[in-house]
Amino acid sequence: MNKHVKLTERAPTDLSRRSFLVGSAATGLVLGYAAVPGIDSALAAPSNFEPSVWYSIAPDGLVTVTCGKADMGQHIASTMAQIVAEELGSNWKDMRVQLASNDPKFNDPVLGAQITGGSWSTMMNFDAMSRAGAAGRMALTEAASSIMGVPAGELVVRNSTVSHPKSKKSMSFADIVKSGKITKTFTPDELKAIKLKTPDQYTMIGVSVPQLDIPPKVNGTAKFGIDVMLPGMVYGKIVTPPVRYGATVKSLDDSAAKKVPGFIKAVTLDDKTGSTTGWVVAVANTFANARKAADALKITYDNGPNAKLSSQSLLDEAKRLQAKDDSGQFFVKDGDTAAAFGTAAKVLEAEYTTSINIHAPLEPMNATAEFKGDILHIYSGNQFATRSGAIAAGAAGIDPKFVVMHQMWLGGGFGRRLDADMMVPAVQAAKAVGKPVKVIYSRENDMTMDYSRPLTYQKVKAGLDADGRLIALNHDVVSAWPTARWGIPDFLTPSVDKKGPLDSFTVNGADFFYSVPNHNVRAIKNELAHTATPSGQLRSVAPGWTFWAVESMIDELAHAAGQDPAQYRIALLDGKGKNDGGAQRLRNTLLAAMGMAGYGTSKLPKGEGMGIACVSSQERATASWTACVAHVAVSPSGAVKVKKLTVATDVGMQVHPDNIRAQVEGAALWGLSLALYEKATLKDGGIEQTNFDTYTPLRMSQTPEIAVNVIANGDKPTGVGEPAVTVVAPALGNAIFNACGARLRSLPITAEAVKANMKA
Amino acid sequence: MPNLNINGRNMSVEAGGDTPLLWVIREQLQMTGTKFGCGAGLCGACTVHVNGEAVRSCQTLVSDAVGKKITTIEGLSAKGDHPLQKAWIIEQVPQCGYCQSGQIMQAAALLSKNSNPTKDEVVAHMDGNLCRCMTYSRIQKAIMRAASEMRTASNASTERRAT
Repeated sequence: MNKHVKLTERAPTDLSRRSFLVGSAATGLVLGYAAVPGIDSALAAPSNFEPSVWYSIAPDGLVTVTCGKADMGQHIASTMAQIVAEELGSNWKDMRVQLASNDPKFNDPVLGAQITGGSWSTMMNFDAMSRAGAAGRMALTEAASSIMGVPAGELVVRNSTVSHPKSKKSMSFADIVKSGKITKTFTPDELKAIKLKTPDQYTMIGVSVPQLDIPPKVNGTAKFGIDVMLPGMVYGKIVTPPVRYGATVKSLDDSAAKKVPGFIKAVTLDDKTGSTTGWVVAVANTFANARKAADALKITYDNGPNAKLSSQSLLDEAKRLQAKDDSGQFFVKDGDTAAAFGTAAKVLEAEYTTSINIHAPLEPMNATAEFKGDILHIYSGNQFATRSGAIAAGAAGIDPKFVVMHQMWLGGGFGRRLDADMMVPAVQAAKAVGKPVKVIYSRENDMTMDYSRPLTYQKVKAGLDADGRLIALNHDVVSAWPTARWGIPDFLTPSVDKKGPLDSFTVNGADFFYSVPNHNVRAIKNELAHTATPSGQLRSVAPGWTFWAVESMIDELAHAAGQDPAQYRIALLDGKGKNDGGAQRLRNTLLAAMGMAGYGTSKLPKGEGMGIACVSSQERATASWTACVAHVAVSPSGAVKVKKLTVATDVGMQVHPDNIRAQVEGAALWGLSLALYEKATLKDGGIEQTNFDTYTPLRMSQTPEIAVNVIANGDKPTGVGEPAVTVVAPALGNAIFNACGARLRSLPITAEAVKANMKA
Repeated sequence: MPNLNINGRNMSVEAGGDTPLLWVIREQLQMTGTKFGCGAGLCGACTVHVNGEAVRSCQTLVSDAVGKKITTIEGLSAKGDHPLQKAWIIEQVPQCGYCQSGQIMQAAALLSKNSNPTKDEVVAHMDGNLCRCMTYSRIQKAIMRAASEMRTASNASTERRAT
C-alpha cells in the first residue's frame, strides 16, 4: 500500500578519501544477497509504513530502526534511532532497534559496505538517518493533513503525534499508519533537498536518552552470537597449532577422541582465507564434549617457516628495514628534511616501540553456521558483514549471494570482529556433519589466534633551529600492515613518492596538525611480522602508536629547547596552511584539558608529575580533537600510580552526551591499559599469553580517577570510540618524565624500565 | 541424571558430573544470560550464586552443585528489578554488556551480606570481574546506588514494622 522512499542517494560527505569504498561496493566487495522469506519480517509486514530502508512504523506506532552498524557497546543502534527520532518527531518510548542482515540495502550510505570501525558510524550516517526521519515526518504530515482536512503547513509534529493547534485536532503516528493513507514518496533529489533542522531546533539530539540496548543487557536476555541456539545444533571446538601462522597438519589421530561421549567428527580445515594454517575443529553434541574431544586429538604438525620467530626477531627485522634508505613508501613528504637537518642547531633521534597487543573481547570468537536449502545462514556478531559473508561463502565453496549473515549483539569488538576467521570452522564443520554447528573459541584459542595489534618500531629524527623551533622531522614507522592483509586495494592509500600503495592504517596520526616545514613520514612494511603475526585493527589502530612516538618526541624537543611542553605545542599549532582550523581546535582542546587539570598551577610533591599530550585521531579527515593531562606518582621502585587522567575532546556535535562520556572514558582506560598492563610476546612462532592470568587488561582496582570534558561547538559530529585511546600513553610517559626524569620509549611501561631510566 | 535446583526450580539434566555447571546452564537449560569468558576463573563473566555465594560456574562441576540452591541472572529477581539491575539502568552501566550478568551477580552476593560497603570493599569484591569495555567507574556508582536503595527500603520496612 505505501510507496517507499528509497534512499539510494549517497549522503554528501567531505570525506572524499572514503568515497572509493562506494566504488568498491560495485566491484570486488559486493556481496550478493538472497531474499529469504522470514528475514526482516518486521519490515516486510504489509501494514507497516516503511519510509526508508532504515526504519518502519507499525500500526501500533512503534518505530523500528534497522541498524546497519555492528553494535559492540557503543550503542550505535540506539544512536541511529535517536537521529531518526529527531527529524521524525517520534517519542523516544516508541523507538525500537533491530540489527540488519547483510542485505546490501543496509550498506553504510558513505562507505557502500557493511563495515563498522574508524569511529566513523555517527559522522557517516548522521545525514542519511536525518533525511530518512524527515522524509517520514513529511509523509505522515501530508497524510494527516488530508485526513484532518487542514493545511499541512499548520501541523505540528511532536511525541509521535501530528496535531493542528488551531482546531485542536490531532492524530497519533499509529492512527495515521493504520489509515493506510500515506502516499508521499521522495526521489533522491527531493530527499537531498529536504531542509533539515538546525541545531537550535533540536529536541532529541544532545539529550542523553536511555540507551535502548541496556535493559536486555542487565537481565540476561540480550542475545550475543555465542547465545544462538538452533534446533539440532552441535558444537565445534577448534585446535590451533603451536605456531600462529605457517604450520600444517601432518597427521590427525582421533582414536582417543572417539571415546569421548557425543563426539561426532574432527575436521581438518581447508582454509584459503589466510586466517591461519593447520587448524582443526572437533565436533560433538555439547561444547564440553567438543572440548574434551579436541583435547584428545593427537595432531602432529610441520611448524613451517615461522617456527623460530620471536618478538625480538621481529624487532631486529624492523630495525634492519628502517636503516635502509630504500625501504617503504612515503606517507608525508613536505619540504626537504635532509637540507634542513644540515642547517639545524640541534638534532635529536629516538626510537619508540610498542608490543604485540591482543583484543580479547570478553565474548570469545564464535559463529554458528546452518545450511538450509541453498542458503548458508551465519549467526555471529561481526564488524564487517560484507567481507565476512564472502569469506563464509569461500569456506563453503558457494556463491556469496547465497550467504545470509544474521547480526547479533557483539560482546566487545575493538576491531577483532572485523575478521571472519571463525566463519571457516563453523561453515566447514556444518558442511561435514550435516547439522548446524556453533563454533566457540576457548579463551586460549582466542588469544593465540588473535589478529593482534602489531609490534611496532618507530624512529624519529628531529632538527631544531637556534631558537628551538622544530624545522625538520623524519618519522619512520615499521610494522605489519593490518589492512593490507584484507586484500582490498581500495583500503590502501597511494604513497606520495608513487612507490605503490601503503597501509595508512599504520601511519595515520603521523600526519599531525603541527606546522613543521620539512616533514617526512615513511611507512615500512615488516614483511616478516606481517606473515608470522597476521595483524588486525585494534581499537584506535595506527594513532595508538604514531602518537606515542610523536607526542613523546615533541615533549623531548620542548625539554631540549628549554621550553614548557604545553607552550611548545601551542606554538607548533599555528594553524598555517593545511593545518588551518584543525590546529586551532586542537590548541583549544589542549588548553581546556590543562585548565581542568590545573596544569602548572601548583607545585606537585616530590615524585609526582603531570604530563600532557594532544592528538588528532583517528585520521586528518575524521579527527576528534583530544588532549590529556596525566597526573602520576612514581615511587623509588619505579612503580607508577596514576592519580588522575583528565581528557578533553572536541567532537563537534554531541548526539548523546552521556554515551560520549562513556566511550571517551572507556577509550582512555584502554589507553591506560595498553600503556601499563597489556603485553603479548611471540616465542617460537606462537603467542605466549593464553589467558587473563598472563595477558592482563586493566581491572577495577587499577582504575584511576578520570575527568572527561566534551567540547561541542556545533560542527559536524566526529568519532568518540577510539581517539582517547591514543592520547593516554604519551601523556603518561611525559608525566613520568616530569615526575622522576625517566624518559620511556617502549610500551607497555614497566616499573623496571622506569627505575632503570630514572635520573640518579 | 543429576538434579539441579536452579532459580527455585528442580531440573534434571543430562550431563556427566564432571561437566562445568556453566555449559549445563547455557546449553541444556538454555539460560544464556550466564556467559563464557575465559574458562579458568579469571574473568567472572560466568558468575552465578550457589547457596548465596558468588561462584565461577566455569569452575564449578555439576556434581558439586547437586543439592544446592543455584541462582543465575535470570533468577536474580522476578522482573529484572533487583536494586542492582535498576541501578545498572539508571547509571547506564553496560557498553557491550557481555560481562554485566557476571558483574551484577558478583555485586549481589556482596550486597546480600553488606548493604553498606565502602568503596574499597566494593573494589576488593569486584576485582576478579573483568570488563573489557572498562565500565568500572559506572559499576562502582551503580553498586553504591543500589546499596543505598536497599538500605532505604530496609529502613522503611523496619519503620513500618515499628509502627
